[in-house]
Amino acid sequence: MNQQQCDEKHVVIIGAGPAGLTAAYELAKLEVHPTVLEKGDRVGGLARTEDYKGFYFDMGGHRFFTKVWEVKKVWHEVLGKDFLRRPRLSRIYYDGKFFDYPLKPINALFGLGVWESIRIVLSYLRWQISPYRREESFEQWVTNRFGKRLFEIFFKSYTEKVWGISCSELKAEWAAQRIKDLSLKTVLLSMFLKPKETIKTLIEEFDYPRRGPGMMWNSIKETIEKNGGEVRLNSGVVGIQRNGKGIESVVVGYNGNKETIRGTHFISSMPVTEFVAKLDPPAPPAVCAAAQRLKYRDFLTVCVIVNKPDLFPDNWIYIHDPAVKVGRIQNFKNWSLEMIPDPAKSSLGLEYFCTEGDELWNMSDDELINLSRYELEHIGLVSGADVEDGCVFRIPKAYPIYDADYHDYLAIVKDFVGSLQNYQTIGRNGLHRYNNQDHAMLTGMLAVRNLMLGEKNDLWNVNADQEYHEEIREKIDLAPALETVKEALAETFPKLDRVALAVSTGAISGMVLFLATIILVLKGGAVVGPNLSLVSQYFPGFSVTILGSLLGLGYGFFAGFACGWGFAFCRNVTVFLYTALMQQRAERQLLRKLLEYI
Amino acid sequence: MPDDIKAIEKLVLTRLLRLNAKVQGVVTGLICGLALFIATNWLVLKGGDIVGPHLGLLGQFFIGYRVTFAGSFAGLGYGFLFGFVIGYSVAFIYNRFLDFREQGHSKELKG
Repeated sequence: MNQQQCDEKHVVIIGAGPAGLTAAYELAKLEVHPTVLEKGDRVGGLARTEDYKGFYFDMGGHRFFTKVWEVKKVWHEVLGKDFLRRPRLSRIYYDGKFFDYPLKPINALFGLGVWESIRIVLSYLRWQISPYRREESFEQWVTNRFGKRLFEIFFKSYTEKVWGISCSELKAEWAAQRIKDLSLKTVLLSMFLKPKETIKTLIEEFDYPRRGPGMMWNSIKETIEKNGGEVRLNSGVVGIQRNGKGIESVVVGYNGNKETIRGTHFISSMPVTEFVAKLDPPAPPAVCAAAQRLKYRDFLTVCVIVNKPDLFPDNWIYIHDPAVKVGRIQNFKNWSLEMIPDPAKSSLGLEYFCTEGDELWNMSDDELINLSRYELEHIGLVSGADVEDGCVFRIPKAYPIYDADYHDYLAIVKDFVGSLQNYQTIGRNGLHRYNNQDHAMLTGMLAVRNLMLGEKNDLWNVNADQEYHEEIREKIDLAPALETVKEALAETFPKLDRVALAVSTGAISGMVLFLATIILVLKGGAVVGPNLSLVSQYFPGFSVTILGSLLGLGYGFFAGFACGWGFAFCRNVTVFLYTALMQQRAERQLLRKLLEYI
Repeated sequence: MPDDIKAIEKLVLTRLLRLNAKVQGVVTGLICGLALFIATNWLVLKGGDIVGPHLGLLGQFFIGYRVTFAGSFAGLGYGFLFGFVIGYSVAFIYNRFLDFREQGHSKELKG
């Protein structure tokens, strides 16, 4: 692409989150000067870092690890030495005790005590023997794999806090989707590629910018501006004007004024529901109706400053205790010491999952800080008196909800968005997909490649749920290995055809007995084949004679047939049981990390 | 990549296993040869007035084979050859039988 073609393009990017900023960053590198519109007062979107009195607060806690090498490259290109390698510790708080996370069976059993452990084991056995016949809800799905008791302790409370609905109402399909890549193929591949070691390293440490993810986004913003792009804060898009083919311009609200910004191409990470609602002329009624039915879950973080240097060793703690409303507690000092201006103090982020407009969301900041103080004391992590200050940040539309019908509604919206020629939607909310920041960034990169290089990358298929695969992939680059693995799998795991094996072993055993008999008959002697004739004890009528050899052919065939059939049957059953066992093991391996996917 | 992996799953779930005749021949041959070699030497080491009268009957089929240390090497060779033929033949017939059935099946589909 030459300079003139670049100059002819004016790309407007809506949203300065990881996806939008990455798209702008990539365009700026290609000497295209994008205009980025951000409704908030800072960049970073859902992954932004807020600050209060010199304390930095990461909204949600963002570990920097990825298997997407393009994203990794950008991270290190932007921050370089400002990345810290941090050890990871996260635990679950339940019933006044802390449990290792990812779950470790022995640690869980010891922590819960003998009586509870017996109940868990009995419950597990009961649900293994007689599982739910139909797995319709998340509760049924987990219970069938762990038993009811473990489900109640380690999954129910936290899942209900995060999603705000009962586990019996949450569809099993949702849980299955969270680990959808873990099907037979993953299990089979993992047998060959042994992913365990890599999983371990990912669990134990991660990269983190010295002063939180905001450092990354601010640095990217500076680079965009240095290269001639523009990042406009406090500039929310209030209207989007379209013609038959695509988008013409966007109307931006700024300080009570409105301004129309024209562009040749538009990339947006704004929630796809808002995009549809702001179109002028409006989208077809069916599209508007579908977009309205896409739902989100929101959350708020109560950030508190604690007058103590050390609180607990975790980066974050999952709070499963149903007696408190807080879902997760971040200890920012353990993410990076530079998040705190005064080493004598600590800062915590108490995350409450809620829905915009509900009781929690509408509580005043003071009420929320008091609630946090009370809950910290109730849990026993911090004395309420040590909480000296705090502030609240509300994050709307933090998680797209995968409810029972979202897929159908999203398909309608997706078709419509696809019909707009100069428009691409990216990012978690732009795609209504539970993407982490690395995958969100990847959608921004791919959108730019589509725009500048004419590639046809399907942004809707950039998948957040491939971690397990990626962990395997990191171990061995699958691309060249895949063909070999494919061949090996094709020659190892398919079923043996019972009849074919029965016929072949039957034919060979019949032939062996026939030839052995004939050879002895032809050799002759006073007593012909006295030992071979003992076979007649099993095959009545058999003798070492010409006639007997024909009978032996028949008997041998039937005996061989039965053996071959039985062998193939047993082998198929064993392979099936083995793969089922491996799948179950691998499922449990992943379920131990399920909280992160929730 | 996901398409490739889906292809693997489809392959594993829908295909019938084909046997590699040469591999099966070699494996069966080695097992038979070694089994006869070990069985022969076991009896040789045990010793006695008449060493291995029953195993010695194999000499009727394997010319030159005897239950002696030297015979154990002949047994190794004979056992390997015999096992190879058996293993190879089973796999060969198995694969041909599958071809035959699949041809019949595809004709049915075309019909």
